[in-house]
Amino acid sequence: MKTRRGTPRIVAGGVALGLTLALTACGDDGGSGSGENEFTVLVYGDATNKVEKKLVEEFNKTSEVKARLDTIPGAEYQQKLQTIISTPQAPDVFFHWGGGSIKPFVDADLLLPLDDFIKKEPGLKDNFLPSVFDASVVDGKAYGVPMRGTQPVMLFHNEKVLDEAGVQPPETWDDLLDAVEKLKDSGVTPIALGGGDQWPTQMWFQYLYDRIAGPELFQKALSGDTEAWESEDSRKALGMIRELVDTGAFGKTYDSVKFTNNGSPQLVASGKAGFELMGSWYYSTQQSLDEKFAAEDLGYSAFPTVEGGKGDPENLVGNTNNYYSVMKKAEHPEAIAEFLKLMYSDTFVKDQLGIGNLPTTTNTPDFLDEAASPEYSKFQYGLVEKAPHFQLSWDQAYPQSAATDLHKAIQQFFNGGLDEDGFISAMQALPTS
Amino acid sequence: MTIQKTRVRPAAPPVKRRRTPTTNVADVGRPGFIWAAPATLFFGAFAIVPLIMVVVLSFMSWDGIGDPEFTGFDNWRRVFDDPVMIKSIWLSLLLTALGVLLQTPLSIMLGVWAAGNQKNRAVLSAVYFVPLLLSATAVSVVWRALLDPNFGVPAEATWLFGDGNLFGEQATAIGVLAFVSTWQFTPFHTLIYQGAARAIPQVLYQAAEIDGAGRYRQFFHVTLPQLRNAIMTSMILMVVGGLTTFETVLILTQGGPGTDTTISAYYMYEEAFKSFDYGAGATVALVLVLAATAISLIMVRLSGYDKMRSTTEGL
Repeated sequence: MKTRRGTPRIVAGGVALGLTLALTACGDDGGSGSGENEFTVLVYGDATNKVEKKLVEEFNKTSEVKARLDTIPGAEYQQKLQTIISTPQAPDVFFHWGGGSIKPFVDADLLLPLDDFIKKEPGLKDNFLPSVFDASVVDGKAYGVPMRGTQPVMLFHNEKVLDEAGVQPPETWDDLLDAVEKLKDSGVTPIALGGGDQWPTQMWFQYLYDRIAGPELFQKALSGDTEAWESEDSRKALGMIRELVDTGAFGKTYDSVKFTNNGSPQLVASGKAGFELMGSWYYSTQQSLDEKFAAEDLGYSAFPTVEGGKGDPENLVGNTNNYYSVMKKAEHPEAIAEFLKLMYSDTFVKDQLGIGNLPTTTNTPDFLDEAASPEYSKFQYGLVEKAPHFQLSWDQAYPQSAATDLHKAIQQFFNGGLDEDGFISAMQALPTS
Repeated sequence: MTIQKTRVRPAAPPVKRRRTPTTNVADVGRPGFIWAAPATLFFGAFAIVPLIMVVVLSFMSWDGIGDPEFTGFDNWRRVFDDPVMIKSIWLSLLLTALGVLLQTPLSIMLGVWAAGNQKNRAVLSAVYFVPLLLSATAVSVVWRALLDPNFGVPAEATWLFGDGNLFGEQATAIGVLAFVSTWQFTPFHTLIYQGAARAIPQVLYQAAEIDGAGRYRQFFHVTLPQLRNAIMTSMILMVVGGLTTFETVLILTQGGPGTDTTISAYYMYEEAFKSFDYGAGATVALVLVLAATAISLIMVRLSGYDKMRSTTEGL
């Protein structure tokens, strides 16, 4: 009797102990970011990943040290990166937006300056447009190699929907207000907006501030002179946003819609909305959702001009490019340098163009005719080439610790939760360094 | 000489009384500390140690990259001055209360029904049980898609949902959160009540019947009082579960519109993993731990649950 009663307990105890040991073992084991002859590459997960996958495959065919590609779904990228960057799980090479987004990592001495790579292989610098390459230089040292396309924000539209409402792509702000009225009359949401993600809302602020006040206002505010937010130009921009939202240009549900789960692109593709303001990756997003729509009915134009504005109407906002940075702890710097060289190879340029992205290598113009939509790529290239100023997205220009409050202020002013003064004081409270 | 032969054998050394296991009632089922060691180690390593680290972190400022710095009570002062934090506590309590109020009656009724032996009962019970088998994340993703204002059910059934923007207003957003949690967790509590209702001695019902009690009086005067302990168990689980709800908010509303559904657990996540202020996040987490502990203790005291009086006393 005694033994029979004891056995299950011993088994249970053993199982519990075994589980504990197994768990502790996991803790030690799953740690290291990459294996023996391998380096990890961490990338923002979206439609462009197919190019990155192909490049990694190609690289692994010839290289002894293998690259392993990890992707993190877009909405979570930044927070996942910051959480793991100073742990042993950190990747060896990672994607970022340049500028402010890597400053804290540089300050913490986590990144490898690429100057030695460039000394050995000057192509790593010379093959890129200088203005784009420089956006990832911190304290005079190069920390990033451009690895995607330049991403100016443009106004996209569904041509069918616009035709039915008798609307032309707007050239001026008044054209846009006019188009909004006509689209409302034809029963669609005039402008789709993934307000749930917050950063798409920010694009409207970026462009209006730039058109009305020029890039200087934001630069001033970012350098610590927060009175810029109280200026007349700032209030004028806010007033115009208020007017646009209040006319119902974005419908009512925008804060429940997201771009990152394809909500807002679907609104445009399915003809439920007319316009959407989005970065140039929009083309590949639509292409991956509905190839026919992207090829036939997806239209685009530059952001409308604002009469009397101080900003150059050819200025752009968006992301100058994305970059790969290398961690100091990386064990295979030579292999990584070889990998980075692929970022200006002919196949890379062709593949990026093939999905609608516009690489910033010096050889890009040679391949523009081979793009998925040569017309689209040439239009984009023209915009970037002509633009006197290319404003980096606000949430990337500010230090990362400001991003949540910045997004909240923007979202709440947009949906009426904050008034003008509330927005201004929220922006003034953001940390600038 | 013979004397020697007949020498009395020296007394055999007393046989050592082998310690036999006593059958003393108090000893049965009382294993030593060693049996508790694995669980204690586990709890220590994965609950106590992290909790201590969170306490330490709440007095520090850390963005996850550099070295943490001690800042004294800064985080605590900030958290208690923060209107969003105060609001988030009320929202947590509101959602928890809604959960208890919705789930308790539903699961008692379902559980008592499922304890019977009606036709088809087993099949239907199994169907009701399904939501519990799904992960909270999967459930939230599915409901998010179903309730999408542009492509979901509300967009089609405008006669019922108006403009269909359930996530756009505080009242409806909270409603959605409470509804989805109820949908998912009612089966679990049903299970508790089913077991408890099965354990009610039949003699009580027979006696009630002899006294002329109908089905409703039997329910209110026999079943409910007999479920007393089960109700407390289930309610404490609901309260603790409700206060720590997180995935549903993360996926369904992201704390929105604005901060209208930012409950404390989600606010902790926002502070720590979106604003990279781990110190403030740790402080919010501790406030939540303290609040949940206090509420559970109060509930246990008020209900006399700690004395664990049997419901079958005197039978």
